[in-house]
Amino acid sequence: MPRSRRLILALVTLLVMAACSSSDDTATGTGASTTAALTDPAKELRVGFTEDQYVLSGPDTSLAGYPLNTNVYEPLILMGPNYELKPLLAERWELRAPNTWRFFLRPGVKFHDGQPLNAQAVKTGLFDRVAKRTGGGTIKSGPNAAVVVDDLTIDFTPTTPNLRVPEQIVHPQNSVEAPGSDAGKKPVGTGPFTFVEYLPKERIVVQRNEAYWGSKAKLAKITYRFYPDSNARRLALEAGDIDFAYLIPGPDVQGLKSRGFNVLASPVGAYTALYANIHGNATHDLLQDVNVRQAVATGIDRKQLVDGVLDGQATTDQTMIPPGALGSAASTVKGFTYDPTKAKDLLAKAGWTAGGDGIREKAGRKLKLTLVSGFPSAEILRPIPTFIQSQLKLIGVDVAVVERPDSASYQALITSGDGDLYLEQGNQNDANAGFLPTLLFFKGAAGGGGSAPYQTLFAPGPTFDQLLAPAVTEPDPAKVRQHVADAMHEAIDVQAAILPVAGNFRTYGLTKKVQGFTPHSSFLSVRWEDVGLTA
Amino acid sequence: MRGYAVRRVLLLVPTLLGIALLTFFLSNLTPGDPADSYFSRLNGRSPSTEELQQVRVELGLDRPFAARFASFIGDAAQGDLDVSFSTRQPVAGELLRRIPFTLQLAVPAAVLALLIAVPAGVLCAVRRNRFTDQAVRLLSLAGASMPSFWLALLLIIVFAVKLHLVPVAGRGGLDSYILPIVTLAMVPAASLTRFTRSTVLETLNSDYVLTARSKGLGELRVVGNHALRNAIIPLLTSFSNSVAQLLAGAAVVETIFVWPGLGKLVVDAILERDYPTIAGSVLYAGITFAVVNLLVDLAYAVLDPRISLVGRRR
Repeated sequence: MPRSRRLILALVTLLVMAACSSSDDTATGTGASTTAALTDPAKELRVGFTEDQYVLSGPDTSLAGYPLNTNVYEPLILMGPNYELKPLLAERWELRAPNTWRFFLRPGVKFHDGQPLNAQAVKTGLFDRVAKRTGGGTIKSGPNAAVVVDDLTIDFTPTTPNLRVPEQIVHPQNSVEAPGSDAGKKPVGTGPFTFVEYLPKERIVVQRNEAYWGSKAKLAKITYRFYPDSNARRLALEAGDIDFAYLIPGPDVQGLKSRGFNVLASPVGAYTALYANIHGNATHDLLQDVNVRQAVATGIDRKQLVDGVLDGQATTDQTMIPPGALGSAASTVKGFTYDPTKAKDLLAKAGWTAGGDGIREKAGRKLKLTLVSGFPSAEILRPIPTFIQSQLKLIGVDVAVVERPDSASYQALITSGDGDLYLEQGNQNDANAGFLPTLLFFKGAAGGGGSAPYQTLFAPGPTFDQLLAPAVTEPDPAKVRQHVADAMHEAIDVQAAILPVAGNFRTYGLTKKVQGFTPHSSFLSVRWEDVGLTA
Repeated sequence: MRGYAVRRVLLLVPTLLGIALLTFFLSNLTPGDPADSYFSRLNGRSPSTEELQQVRVELGLDRPFAARFASFIGDAAQGDLDVSFSTRQPVAGELLRRIPFTLQLAVPAAVLALLIAVPAGVLCAVRRNRFTDQAVRLLSLAGASMPSFWLALLLIIVFAVKLHLVPVAGRGGLDSYILPIVTLAMVPAASLTRFTRSTVLETLNSDYVLTARSKGLGELRVVGNHALRNAIIPLLTSFSNSVAQLLAGAAVVETIFVWPGLGKLVVDAILERDYPTIAGSVLYAGITFAVVNLLVDLAYAVLDPRISLVGRRR
C-alpha cells in the first residue's frame, strides 16, 4: 500500500475511533441497568427544561435540586403554588424568642439510602451545609447555628436576626441532603423520586421512590431533557419528543393551544418593573423630580401592553411583589392608571414644555431618558422597551433604549449609573414577601439591605426604610405582609421610584395525556408526585 | 521531515501563549462581572455587596489580572486548566468529556461533505456551463449562503415536527445524529463543491491533460488519474480548514440541536463569563488548528513528491 494511502487510512481510523468512543460512561448515577428496568412508556414522563445550570461540586452543589427541581430532595417546609406554607419534613415549627426557630421533624422518614431523617441528619444535611454557602444562604446559617435538641427536634439560630426563616427555608436550595452522600454525583434525599442518572447538558433521570414516606408518585420515571432554546423546547413538544415543557414564551401559547396542547399558567410569580434612578449623577438626574417619575408611570398603558403586545401572557398587577405573597395586604398598593393627559400636566408642572419635535424641553435641555434593559436578559424583556419608548414619546419623553444581553452586563450599568430607567423581570421564589425590597432598596440598619449599587440609584428614602424595617424583626407573617405592602405603597404610589409594568406568571405546555399537574408560581418548587399519564 | 515537524511544534508554544493572553485580556474586557453572573445564576437575584465580594474571593477574581494569567499559564503547562466558574468542575476534564461529542458530529459531517463535494465538483467541471453544472452551482451557492441556524430550523420543522422521522434535538439513538450532521456538512460541502469545480477546471486546461487526451485515454481516466489527482493539494488545503473548524466545535449547530459538544461549551462559557472555560476552549481550538495544519503540510509531501519540506542542501 502506498505511503499516502496508509497515512490517510491511519488518520481516518484515528478520527473514527475517537468519534465512536461513547461518552455515556461519564454519566453519573446508577446507570443503564436501573433505567432498563423501567420500560413502561405509559408511566414515563418526558420533560423539557431550559438550561442545565447544575453546579457539581463545592459548597453550591445543586445537582437534581436547583434550578431544575426533580423532587429528589425535600425542604422542611413546602411552599404551595401561591406562596402558602405547608409542613413537609417538619411537622411544625415555632419561634423561640428572640431569634431561634425550633423544628419538629416528621417521624418515620428515611433517605433513599435507608438512613433515618433525624435532627442530626438535618443539622448536617441542611444547616451545616448551607452555612458553607456564600453568605450562609438566605436563611443566614453559620457553623454553630443548628443545635440538636432530641432525635426529632432541632433548633436553628440564624447568624443575624431573621424571623423570616420559615418563609425562606422553602427554597429548594434549603433542602435536606443525606449525610455522607456525594451530592455532585449521586444525590440522595427523602423525596418522592430517586436519582437514576445525569448526563451534563443532556438529561437527568429519576424514578419513583417506592419507599417514600408520603403518597407514592404516580409516575414510574421522569426523564428531564435540557432545551436552552425556547423554540427547540416548543418544537420538541409539538414533535412528540417530550410530554411537558417548562416556560412557554407568550407568543407561542395560542399556537400550542390551537394544535391541541394544554398550556397552564401559574399564579403571578414574577414581575416586570422599571426602577427609576432617583439619585443619578448630572447626566442622569432628570428623574430626581417626582413629577417626571409619576408622568412616566401614568404615561404607560399597561392594559395595551398586556393584551396587545404580550398576548395576554401577563397581568396588569402593580404590586411588584406577587399578590399571592402579599396576601390581603396587596390591595394597599394602588399602582398607576393610564392617563396621558395627567402625564402631560405633570410634566408641564415640572417645567417641561413641548419642543418643536414634540419632545419636551426645559432650559434648553431635552427630556431624554436612557432605559436600560437586561435582567435576566434583554431577549426575555423584548418588546417591552420599545413599547414603553413609543408610549412615552406620546407625552413628549424621548427614550433611548440600551439593551444588555445578560444580568452581568446589565448590573455593570447599574454600578456605573449610566441610565435613568432600569427594566427588570424579577422572581419571587420563596414566601418572604419582603425579600426583594429588602435586598434591593432598603438602607435601614436592621439586618436588611445589601445590594449597594441598587440602593445608590434607587433607594426610595427614609420613610420606605422605616416602613420596611419591621419586616425582618416582626414574628407575625400577616403583619409582615402589611409592613411590606406599606413600604411598597411608599416606593410605588408616593415616590414613584419603582414603576411596575406587569405581573408575570409561569407557563407550562403539556400534552393532553399529562394529568394532575398543578402550575406553580415558582418553577423551582414544582411537585411531581400527583402527576400521571393517561393511556 | 522530522526536523520540520519539531520546529512547527515548537512554534506552537509562542502561538498558544499569544492566544491565551489575547483570550484572557478580551474576556476581562467584557462588560459585567463573572462573580455577579455566577451568583445571579445560582440565586436568581443580584448579590449584595458582601456576597459579591465573597464570590470574587471564591472564584479567585480578587487577584490582579497579571497574577491570574501567570498562574493560568503555569497550571496549563502542567495540563491543569483551572476550574469552571459555572460547574466548579476541572476545565480540562470537561474538555475531554466534550471532545468525543464534537467528533461524533464533525467526522461524519466532514466525510459527508467530501462525499458530496468531490463528485459534484468534478461533475460540474466536466459538464461545464451545461444544465448539470448550472444546477449544482446554484445549489452550492444556496448551501454556502444559507445560515446554519436557518437550515437547522427548516430541517427540524420538516423532518422532526411534520414527518416525525427524527427527534428535534438532543443526543439519543442514531436517528438523532442525522439532522445535526447534515446541517454541519452543508456549508463545507457547498464551498468545497465550488472549489473542486474551479480547481478541476484549471487542471483540465493543463498541457498534461491535453497530452493525455491526445494519447487517446478515456475521459474517466483523464479526469480521475490526471485532473483530479493534481487538484488534490489545493482541495486538501480547503478541506483541512473546514475540518479544523468542525473539530473545534460548531457553536450554532450544537446549540440548536442541544448537542453537548465543544461549540456549546464555548457559547455557554461566554454567556456565563466563565473565564477558565473560555481560555481552555480557545487553547484547544488553537491546538486543533495548528495540528490539522501541520498534518496537512506533512501530507503535501506525501501526496506530491515534488514538494520538499526539508531545505535543499548546497
